[in-house]
Amino acid sequence: MDANVLKVSNITKTIKNKEIIKGISFVINLGEILGFLGPNGAGKSTTLRMIVGLSKPSSGYIDICGYNITNDYVKAMSNVGCIIEEPNLYNYMSGYKNLEMLGSMSKGVTKKDIDEAVELVGMEKRINDKVGIYSMGMKQRVGLAQALIHKPKLLVLDEPTSGLDPQGIHDFREIVKELAKEKNISVLISSHLISEVQMMCDKVSIINNGEIIQNGSVDEMISTGEVFWVLDDSKKGQKLLKESFNIASIIDKEKLIAIIDVKELTTINKKMIQSGMDLKYVGTKKKTLEDLFLKLTEKQKIL
Amino acid sequence: MISLIQNEVIKLLLKKKMILILLLLLIFISLFSYGEKYTYDKNLERLENLSGDMNYDWKNLATQRLSDLEKRLNSSYIPDEGIASIEIEIEQLNYFIENDINPITPSAAKFSVEFVEQGILMFIPLLIVILAADLVSGEFSSKTIKVLLTRAVPRWKILLSKFIALIMITTILISIIGVLSSIVSFLFFQRWGFNEPVATGFSLIQGSLNSDYVVLVTRFQYMLLIYSLVWYVSIVLSSITLLISVLVNNSASAIGILMAALISGQFLQFFLSDWTLVKYFFVTNLNLTHYLTGSYQIIEGMSLEFSIVVLSLWAFLSLFVSFQVFNRKDVLV
Repeated sequence: MDANVLKVSNITKTIKNKEIIKGISFVINLGEILGFLGPNGAGKSTTLRMIVGLSKPSSGYIDICGYNITNDYVKAMSNVGCIIEEPNLYNYMSGYKNLEMLGSMSKGVTKKDIDEAVELVGMEKRINDKVGIYSMGMKQRVGLAQALIHKPKLLVLDEPTSGLDPQGIHDFREIVKELAKEKNISVLISSHLISEVQMMCDKVSIINNGEIIQNGSVDEMISTGEVFWVLDDSKKGQKLLKESFNIASIIDKEKLIAIIDVKELTTINKKMIQSGMDLKYVGTKKKTLEDLFLKLTEKQKIL
Repeated sequence: MISLIQNEVIKLLLKKKMILILLLLLIFISLFSYGEKYTYDKNLERLENLSGDMNYDWKNLATQRLSDLEKRLNSSYIPDEGIASIEIEIEQLNYFIENDINPITPSAAKFSVEFVEQGILMFIPLLIVILAADLVSGEFSSKTIKVLLTRAVPRWKILLSKFIALIMITTILISIIGVLSSIVSFLFFQRWGFNEPVATGFSLIQGSLNSDYVVLVTRFQYMLLIYSLVWYVSIVLSSITLLISVLVNNSASAIGILMAALISGQFLQFFLSDWTLVKYFFVTNLNLTHYLTGSYQIIEGMSLEFSIVVLSLWAFLSLFVSFQVFNRKDVLV
């Protein structure tokens, strides 16, 4: 089997002569959580809908666990569980009946699988009530259970926490993280909430106007390479950096700030101590993902 | 596949629409049987007044008519074509006299046939529309289509299971109409009348009533015949409703479009009957049962076979387009 749980190759989508997705490619490996970050109308939802088979790409390929979604629809889809926007269940049935019904559409889903999924999302007590009287948070939990009953390898979540309260968001996040870690389920999660992506995801793709404008791990993206030291004598430190490492630096109040390759930090620190400087504090400055996101998307107006 | 159909049947039943439909049926059937009982009583009263006798003697009249017919049969002036129909009327009259039944007495069997004969143009289509208009469009308006179409089941299977479930429920509905109208009207008339003879098989040939093919069947057999025609019409209507439900993304518009088609179809029949294209419209062909009773034709050139073929074509095309559209549709709700 292919190592890539999800492989999206150069997909495009044109709706009513407007090119909404302009060639998107990415992969998700086993157990990885990929965040799809982008402003409203960037094409996140459209891309996710193509991945779960709700709409068809105008060109390009989508493979799930090695099965092409167009040619091997059933095999590909049996590896996917999803919530697209808010979880829409049948209001006139109980949560359990909903799960039973949706479960019967996948091969080999047993009563035990349903019970396990219900337990995982913590809905044992209310699962037999009608969905119509559930709160948003409860619907979301049943929605997640629905996406998990057939034990998929890929979980696709489209803005899953919109409409949840902070407690709900926290619980939801914990469940998803646990799934990825313990059951090795890959997760593709779209959001316009930066903090959410930062907290949950291993990798981020920033998408705007139907294109991926940046790819990478969260750590990579937010590190700037900017390091600061708090020394007893900043001037001496500046001189040392210049002479020994050929690094320019500036002094800002008690801080000595320089842009370096983070790998060299240990060497620099050792040298400073050897030179008899009193190293009180050293730290790296991180950009927030928000800064990055705003910078990348600032010029984009809705075209 | 079986579990898919089962799911769809559960959905149709749980939505409480069946209760609404049964309630509508019960109200209409009760109203009509009461009305028929009332007119019958009035008629009887009128006839009694007319004959001046408190006990208006229908048997006497029937016997008179019988001997009249027998005389005509013996006369040599009667053309061969006429003999069959006279013989049948004699047979019918004999039955009523022997069993001591006034031919105009309403019975449950008669009522349940009349009920669907009248209902086939508007009332039954209305019930089908209530039942099926949101079959697909409802999933779009409640957005549940997203959970339905993201399971590992190809789309055509989902639509097929919906259609099969609809056929099953429609069949049950038609049987319920038969049973319910018989039982409720029995409560009013106190007579089943399943064994009464009925003459059927008239056909219109070049504007004149042809009785060559007339046969005598029991009321029950006739009822089965009429109900199977009604069932066929209902299946065709279900397919057309399914098409609209696939094309339109919300239930209200689906119901609106179908009702508009039904009503405008009735108008077209009356006002544009010269326009030959009208006879290819499905609404014009719904009234299959009137071909059996030999009532007048609205548009020249229409026959039972013609209508059945036209309706089949409509059903087939509707299903074909439904599956094509449903398979390709982008779900953007």
